[in-house]
Amino acid sequence: MDDSSTMDLRRRALLGGTVAAAGLLSGTGQLAAQPRSQIVFANGSAFDTMDPHQTFDVGRVAYRLNIYDSLMRWLDNPPKIAPWLAESYEISDGGKRYTFKLRQGVKFHDGAELTSADVVYSMERILALKQGAYGLLSPMVEPGSTQAPDKHTVVFNLKEPSAIFIAATHDIYVVNSALVKKNERNGDWGAAWLARNDAGSGSYTLRRFDPARGFLARRFPDHFLGWPGPALEEIDFRYVAEVNSRVLGLIRGDFQGTDPYMPQDQIKRLQGDANMNVMEAESTRLFYAAIHNRRAPMSDINFRKAINYAFDYDGWINDILGGSVVRNPSPIPNPMWGCPKDVTGYTYDLDKAKHHLSLVKEPLREITIAGMIGYEQSMQAAALLQNGLNKIGVQTKLLNEPFPVTSAKQRDEAQMYDILFLWRSTYYADPHNWPGEMYDGRRFARGNFSFYRNEKVDALLSQALAATDQAVRAPLYEEASRIIVEEAAGLFVHNTKWYGPFRKNVKGVRFCPIGDGQEMRWLSLA
Amino acid sequence: MNILVLVVNRLLWFVPTVLGLLAIVFVISHIVPADPVAFMAGENANPETIARLRAELGFDQPLHIQFIRYIGSVLHGDLGTSIYTGRPIAEDLLDRLPATLELTLITVLVATAVGIPVGVVAALHRNSVADHLLRVVTIAGLAIASFWLAILLQLQFSMNFGWTPLHGRIDGWGPEPITGFFLIDALLLGDMEIFLDALHHLILPVVTLAIPAAATIVRFTRAGVLNAVQSDYVLYETAMGFPRRQIVWKYILRNALIGTVTQIGLVFGVLIAGAVVVEAVFDWPGLGTFAVNSILNSDYNAVMGFTLVIGTAFIVINLLIDIAHGMIDPRESR
Repeated sequence: MDDSSTMDLRRRALLGGTVAAAGLLSGTGQLAAQPRSQIVFANGSAFDTMDPHQTFDVGRVAYRLNIYDSLMRWLDNPPKIAPWLAESYEISDGGKRYTFKLRQGVKFHDGAELTSADVVYSMERILALKQGAYGLLSPMVEPGSTQAPDKHTVVFNLKEPSAIFIAATHDIYVVNSALVKKNERNGDWGAAWLARNDAGSGSYTLRRFDPARGFLARRFPDHFLGWPGPALEEIDFRYVAEVNSRVLGLIRGDFQGTDPYMPQDQIKRLQGDANMNVMEAESTRLFYAAIHNRRAPMSDINFRKAINYAFDYDGWINDILGGSVVRNPSPIPNPMWGCPKDVTGYTYDLDKAKHHLSLVKEPLREITIAGMIGYEQSMQAAALLQNGLNKIGVQTKLLNEPFPVTSAKQRDEAQMYDILFLWRSTYYADPHNWPGEMYDGRRFARGNFSFYRNEKVDALLSQALAATDQAVRAPLYEEASRIIVEEAAGLFVHNTKWYGPFRKNVKGVRFCPIGDGQEMRWLSLA
Repeated sequence: MNILVLVVNRLLWFVPTVLGLLAIVFVISHIVPADPVAFMAGENANPETIARLRAELGFDQPLHIQFIRYIGSVLHGDLGTSIYTGRPIAEDLLDRLPATLELTLITVLVATAVGIPVGVVAALHRNSVADHLLRVVTIAGLAIASFWLAILLQLQFSMNFGWTPLHGRIDGWGPEPITGFFLIDALLLGDMEIFLDALHHLILPVVTLAIPAAATIVRFTRAGVLNAVQSDYVLYETAMGFPRRQIVWKYILRNALIGTVTQIGLVFGVLIAGAVVVEAVFDWPGLGTFAVNSILNSDYNAVMGFTLVIGTAFIVINLLIDIAHGMIDPRESR
């Protein structure tokens, strides 16, 4: 008998003696109601829509990954892009034309065949709704430019050559165009209908959806990849806002897995439980401070270097975060190709900080260091840097504001904070996702919140974006990163580690930073 | 004033009250320097895209125009669409309202059923050991932080004893909603298993919310009864030889309850506020978590929709309280 059954029996026995008299013993325990091949996954973000083109965040990735398919898919860690709905692709016209050959015989959940017309409709829908992956795809693809020359061929004609397009195809989730069109109302591209319904071809079919609770999906037996091994029959993703409730539910056996966004003490608590398997992997989520490079005195390289030498990296990583993250000295996460391995970065050295401060030509003033309310690490890091800067005689002010406020201010050069601690997540697994978005001088206020510009860096990033061969691109990103670090354009702190807490009987988890290990088709219960 | 006049009077005040409430929330939510459109568009969106989205959503208009348009939509039954989820606000609210109402109404029933008799007993045994003990318990009940109590109850009754569910409204997914009130739906379906399971899940959240609510009701009932006990009519009835039980439960309580009933209406508002925390701890899929997420995401329409629903509920409850006053004390209806 496993531990969860024991818990259930104990619960019932105790109930029998206490609550049954009041008529409350229902006999419908969680575990009794749960089929053996069902997983209940507690998620910290609410699944408030089922439309794959309305969201783009990792917190709500589970329904996109499990109910929908895309042309290519990111798998494993370090992430590798793999053909999914596409069998193959060709690049022509100097990197502007991408031609995909689709697999034949792929079925949607309603039995209809998936064709190139569905891919074209999905692309146009993303561009029309202007949500989800729109921000990623719209700079590359014009509305009306995608073609379907035959049933199984899709041609994307890009505005200009872009090496990241293949990486971005993971986010073109294909919907059943006939079904969605049938449910369009007042030119809404079926948005109202698809927010609650399923038009996918993915590994699981939507059975129940409650935006306040989550979603329940059943295995799709006709999925094009087939089901060669043991698999889960049902996946139940439940929104559980409180970390403590997620952890207690996992320990009690109500849940079999939960997301990794929790404080280190909770991770340690789970690691100490004999029934738990807390998986660990280095992810690709960079924690850094954006420094406003165009506002004095941060416009002076020596002041930026003083900032970099005034942060206690070891204290942060080992004492505050208990070794749960990894030092990442450059703008590209360590496991990603294109990350310069020879860059050691800055250390906590107040003498060097004072030396660089003495070289600053701009007049000094009070510096605002900002953190994001609700994101503990962001606020803690701001306080730690304040401590370091105060020690070298720089006057500082802490300012913590909620994400919608910081998000608005960082897009405005005049309103952007002097220093802001934040994360850069993996929107697409390509080195361009980091320096290409964060430090390209042509992307002020849209990724480049540091307002940093260096023509040599811009040229390297352009060259890297136009080339399609990884062997050519990698040294270009390495060189750009070296310059960014040397110029102390930002304060690069750590790369996040992923901790995937699962019950021990859950097998087959394949972690990929893009999907956070939430693709359920690989999982089974022992 | 008879009850009909009272209802008409309250309904006439309903419109300006709700309008005032909406205007305040609208101004507060829009002067916060957050940009939900930038938030919605994502990090990679360029300023042109954000500007275009802002125009499409009407956020580029002056504040008063936006407010007038919003009120116009509300009058047509349209609460708008969530900026964050793209779903109609009315649907989001309807999905969650029954869960919160079921929790708060049952809490009010429990708190009232416990609070009134205990308050009467405390008053009738004034300065006894029981009264002193109840004073300590009620003050502790008022002072206790609900999130702390909730976690404590979870650890003890769910984790250590295994007696109660840890979270949620029901095991598994439950029935397809009819009214959304699981207890009512279970009865409509004639499914006692679901009914008892839903009741079982209500125990800890209701206890968490009912303790401070009952403490308030005990204090007010005790004070009301003490006041009534010292009045001349009680002295007269005692002198006339009326049975003690009749004096207490028929005459004293009726007069003492006026303040308590008012308090129950206010407790309802407090409970909705308290439910925000309790719903988060117990994973209760109600309006509380929806409101918190809407505020954090600066989802204007959602915040306004939530305010409208809760404001309306509060006004309706207080109208019912006024009617109850009239029934308890006929002088109020004259």
